[in-house]
Amino acid sequence: MSVADRSFSRRGIFKALGVMTGGITLGRWLGSSAVAAQEPVQTKAIETFTGPGANPHWNSVGPYVAEPQKVPLILLTDRPVQLETPRHYFRTAFTPNEAFYVRWHLEGIPNTVDLKDWKLQIEGNVNNPLALSLPELMQKFKPVSLAAVNQCSGNSRSRLQPRVPGGQWGNGAMGNAMWTGVRLRALLEVAGVKSDSLQVQFQGLENGQGPKGLGSNLFLKSLDLGNPVLDECIVAYLMNGEPLPMLNGFPVRLVVPGYFATYWTKSLTWIRVLNSPDENFWMKTAYRIPDTPRGNTNPEDMKAGKVKTVPIERLPVRSFLIWPDGTSKIPAGMNIRLQGIAFSGFGRVNRVEVSEDGGKTWLPAELGEDHGPYSFRTWGMSWTAKSQGRHTLAVRATDEKGIVQPDEPVWNAGGYLWNMIERQEIVVGKAS
Amino acid sequence: MKKRVLAIFLVMCGLMMVVAVVFADLKKGYYRPAELGSLRQTALIELSPDSNYQVSAYPVPGADLVPGDGRQEVQTYCNTCHSPIYVTMQPPLPAATWEAEVNKMNKAYGAAIPEDTTQKIIRYLQAHYTVENRTP
Ligand code: HEC
Repeated sequence: MSVADRSFSRRGIFKALGVMTGGITLGRWLGSSAVAAQEPVQTKAIETFTGPGANPHWNSVGPYVAEPQKVPLILLTDRPVQLETPRHYFRTAFTPNEAFYVRWHLEGIPNTVDLKDWKLQIEGNVNNPLALSLPELMQKFKPVSLAAVNQCSGNSRSRLQPRVPGGQWGNGAMGNAMWTGVRLRALLEVAGVKSDSLQVQFQGLENGQGPKGLGSNLFLKSLDLGNPVLDECIVAYLMNGEPLPMLNGFPVRLVVPGYFATYWTKSLTWIRVLNSPDENFWMKTAYRIPDTPRGNTNPEDMKAGKVKTVPIERLPVRSFLIWPDGTSKIPAGMNIRLQGIAFSGFGRVNRVEVSEDGGKTWLPAELGEDHGPYSFRTWGMSWTAKSQGRHTLAVRATDEKGIVQPDEPVWNAGGYLWNMIERQEIVVGKAS
Repeated sequence: MKKRVLAIFLVMCGLMMVVAVVFADLKKGYYRPAELGSLRQTALIELSPDSNYQVSAYPVPGADLVPGDGRQEVQTYCNTCHSPIYVTMQPPLPAATWEAEVNKMNKAYGAAIPEDTTQKIIRYLQAHYTVENRTP
């Protein structure tokens, strides 16, 4: 040991002594005080934005906000309101109404609905235009119930590379509910759709400050009358057996099972039968996907104008690990239960698998109760964190059409259809 | 010299035992000062049994736009159809994308912002919200 080394180590000792004496003093002082001057682990807020890389978090990074009829949810935008559901609310097959995500396009969203004046209008190319009150909807038509996932077209948009403008959702722009209401077909039957009709258009109470005729003034969506999904559509006045929260579309919203939420018009008030194709902004320009496998393309082809687009429709198969969520360490050797959800807009999820080795081998998970083809399906699997270290779990689902969740990213200009296999790092600590 | 080191070492061992006990205490009971009211619960609104179904006004915390030339214009012109949080929510975007976004607001959505103001807004967004210059 050289002289220099020795004096260094001695200084080290004095330093250590200093820290320890300080520790004792602080410890004494702490005994009589509730608030410490320093923290054992520094707590800091999450970053205020992510990018240009992919958002590394499960949810988006906004602050929590308390909105009417809601528990604190993650704020994307305040006017109009867009809120994301935090991860832990997906432990159950049905998402609580007060935690259900919110996505409006235009700032004129209802604070008040007077049911004395409100009527659901069925108009346009029909023989008997109708104006139905809520009691008429509830009493004159047979109620039907159906569990269905409502997922925003842009759910997980913050994963895309390169990033695209739009709502920077994490994974929480989705929810599952038991919807109860009236069959859309029953309403159309009573109204008598004329034979030359092509589409049916939906309009809610939402409106914006932009000029008439533009997408900034009205949010309008349409479906083809020949589309079989119309047979399954419900005009819902109950969500999980409760009236709809105002922010989720009180008094009624359209439910389009298996389809992205863009068609699920909130505060639905006008059902309009059309005899020419709907060419409004929200059909012709927005919510369109490349007419390619998985709606995938790249910025170069897009810019070169090579990409033909079609309206977005069904939800591709997805699955999520909800717990463990990476916020806590798991002691090695502890047998825990992995929990998650899966869904597909193309039919029931009939297989969920977990991989610990980056996708080389897959182990089957147990599926929870089947609430119907369009519902979240919970899954679980008992798992022992064998050795201390960092483990990565991947989850994938397969639906009854045999479509397996892919392990490749997707890119399109709208930031739609993300459904790549999800991964979660889990830190396993020494248990002794 | 060696004795002194040894003595210090022994004293330290003793201290370490004491400290171990004290530090065990330090491992709990830590709190930190924090501001109350960053997320207040909202009071219930009064409900009456009539046909009106009502919720309270939706809160607008406001967007924290970076100070700079053009900020005022964004706060005015980009606040009619939606709040400027639509800007701050975005990831850092290429300069060309910001130009395209502002043009989209004018053309597709009819924002009709005067040409010189449009250019000023584009310059502001390109000066503060791209990969090269966006700050937390
Ligand atoms: C005439 C109305 C109007 C004005 C004025 C307006 N916007 Fe928009 N903007 C919209 C609409 C409508 C949307 C779509 C909202 C949605 O989907 O939630 C939008 C969306 C956006 C988005 C999200 C990305 C996208 O393309 O959907 C950004 C960013 C944005 N606006 C920026 C701006 C900026 C910057 C200004 C000021 C130069 C501005 N807006 C002014 C109507 C407007």
